[in-house]
Amino acid sequence: MASQKPIIAMRGIVKRFGGVVALDNVDLDAYPGEVLAIVGDNGAGKSTLIKVLTGVYQPTEGSIKLDDKPFQMASHSDAIENGIDAVYQNLAIADHLTPAENLFLGAELTKSVAGFTALDNRRMKEEATRVLKDRLGVQLKSMDVATESLSGGQRQAVAIARAVRHDDLRVLVMDEPTAALGPQETARTLELIKVLKAQGLAIIVISHSLDDVFEVSDRIHVQRRGQCAGVVKTSETTNEEVLGMIVGTKTAA
Amino acid sequence: MASSETAIEQPSFSEKIEPYISFLGPMAMILAIILFMGVAEPARYFRVSNMTQILLDAALYMPMAMAMTFVITQRGIDLSIGSVAALSSIIMAFLIKQYGFPAWSAALIALCLGALMGLINGLVITKFKVPDLIGTLAMDLVYRGFALVIAKGLVLARFPDLITEIGRGQSLVFLPTPVVIGLITLAIGYFMLKSTHFGRYTISIGSNPEASEMTGIAVDRHRVYAYVLMGTMAALAGIMLTGKLNAIQATSAPYFNLHVIAAVVVGGTSLFGGRASIVGSLAGVLLLSMMINALVTLRIEFFWQSVASGVVIILSVALYTWLQKKDRDGSGGLAAALSNPDNRKLLKMTVWIMGALIVLSIISLILGGPANPSG
Repeated sequence: MASQKPIIAMRGIVKRFGGVVALDNVDLDAYPGEVLAIVGDNGAGKSTLIKVLTGVYQPTEGSIKLDDKPFQMASHSDAIENGIDAVYQNLAIADHLTPAENLFLGAELTKSVAGFTALDNRRMKEEATRVLKDRLGVQLKSMDVATESLSGGQRQAVAIARAVRHDDLRVLVMDEPTAALGPQETARTLELIKVLKAQGLAIIVISHSLDDVFEVSDRIHVQRRGQCAGVVKTSETTNEEVLGMIVGTKTAA
Repeated sequence: MASSETAIEQPSFSEKIEPYISFLGPMAMILAIILFMGVAEPARYFRVSNMTQILLDAALYMPMAMAMTFVITQRGIDLSIGSVAALSSIIMAFLIKQYGFPAWSAALIALCLGALMGLINGLVITKFKVPDLIGTLAMDLVYRGFALVIAKGLVLARFPDLITEIGRGQSLVFLPTPVVIGLITLAIGYFMLKSTHFGRYTISIGSNPEASEMTGIAVDRHRVYAYVLMGTMAALAGIMLTGKLNAIQATSAPYFNLHVIAAVVVGGTSLFGGRASIVGSLAGVLLLSMMINALVTLRIEFFWQSVASGVVIILSVALYTWLQKKDRDGSGGLAAALSNPDNRKLLKMTVWIMGALIVLSIISLILGGPANPSG
């Protein structure tokens, strides 16, 4: 991993909201084919960090490099255009739409019908089926049901599929992907993360569950009070050490 | 590649009929009305002229039910449609009767005015952040007030053929013209819901507004679109009503809003957003027209229609809510309900209120003098 160059390299990121310093001089690298976990207590700056990474917030100070070139994002759509997307905790799914309709929500495929622009529902369904199957190895029993009738893990797959639908996606940020899931669904979601990692994506996972983090990640980035308390290799650390870094009784070796 | 979902099950029976439940519900009720009227008043109810009358009554509500399906699916509501219909058709009537406008241009102006009023509703709701219920209720007063200001107490009557054709024409042989207009608007609505961005975003906004916003959908703009559609369809209904009666006045169409909302909700469109059914709305409109026609045929006093419409709204919302509840774990009926202390307190309060009413009535009867009718 160290031999590869990071897709994204953030250096000295500072984000202030008025007088509050949410991020204080934070560095972060995301490598292809690697899962980076971001852990930390509530208010440690995890969410702010990924919002800067996905273009939702603009950093007050600091630089972001994409493929070693300086890179600035004015909005979230800039991030998506450059292959960076996020799957949020509250899943951003419209329960009453079908999986295919959710997959293409806001970016529908269209066709021309008698001079009018109409949605191409058939093609969206085919594409959605293909993305779910080829990229995530997920086959739903029916593509015509409302997404609300799917299990938590399948809904998660639909939300992830929406991001990986873009073939040029390179960095996928996942905010608490397992927070609302039972043990079996959690295992399936972690499986999905491994599948995507094998496809060469850089994956950044925010999680409160250290078990999940140790199961799936390659490196762990610990945030504490707006600062990076350290980045450790998952294979070279323990649950206790990371916990200590989160609460501040230990620092990175 | 790991396959996390290998088992491909067939969808169960309940999942198969789920998409059609919004149509089957009202259809079952329509069947019930047909059976009941078949026993009670078959001769007068099933006459061709009466069937045509039912369709004519229903036609008036079809365009509005189509638009209201979009509004309600977006978690909105529009209570101003009766006044929008009245004001736009009053203005149309004045343009024709006093200013000599051709009927076609006056009708188009009325549609534009309806769209404008819908636009104002939408802007009040999205820009001034006035909740839909309050915003459209207040605009209802405004539009009705303007209609009264313009028309005073006048009844404007006798319109050109075009207007009466729209309202009650038969020139299309197989179906009355308004029914054709109504069905066309519903067909357009069906297409819009299934195959346009507006329809897709209408469902997503109603289903999950935050997610829609996050996806980059212009939530407020599409909500405004729904109100503009609603206003335009209300104006169309106003024109149809004017043509049907060949007369219009400022107080016309007082109960459009509740009638249309009832029809849409009966048709399975969820008041909680995200669940839309244009076909269900058609079934709902037909059901309400059949029900009201049945009440008329049975010679039940007009004012009972109001009671019936209200009861139908409550019953259908309660029914759909109950149907959609996933965890019906057999709560055990009345005995279980009464073991809940909250329900016991509510029961006690009910008993107190009823008791107070009875006691007050008895005291009044004992102490009261001879009746003194005010009339």
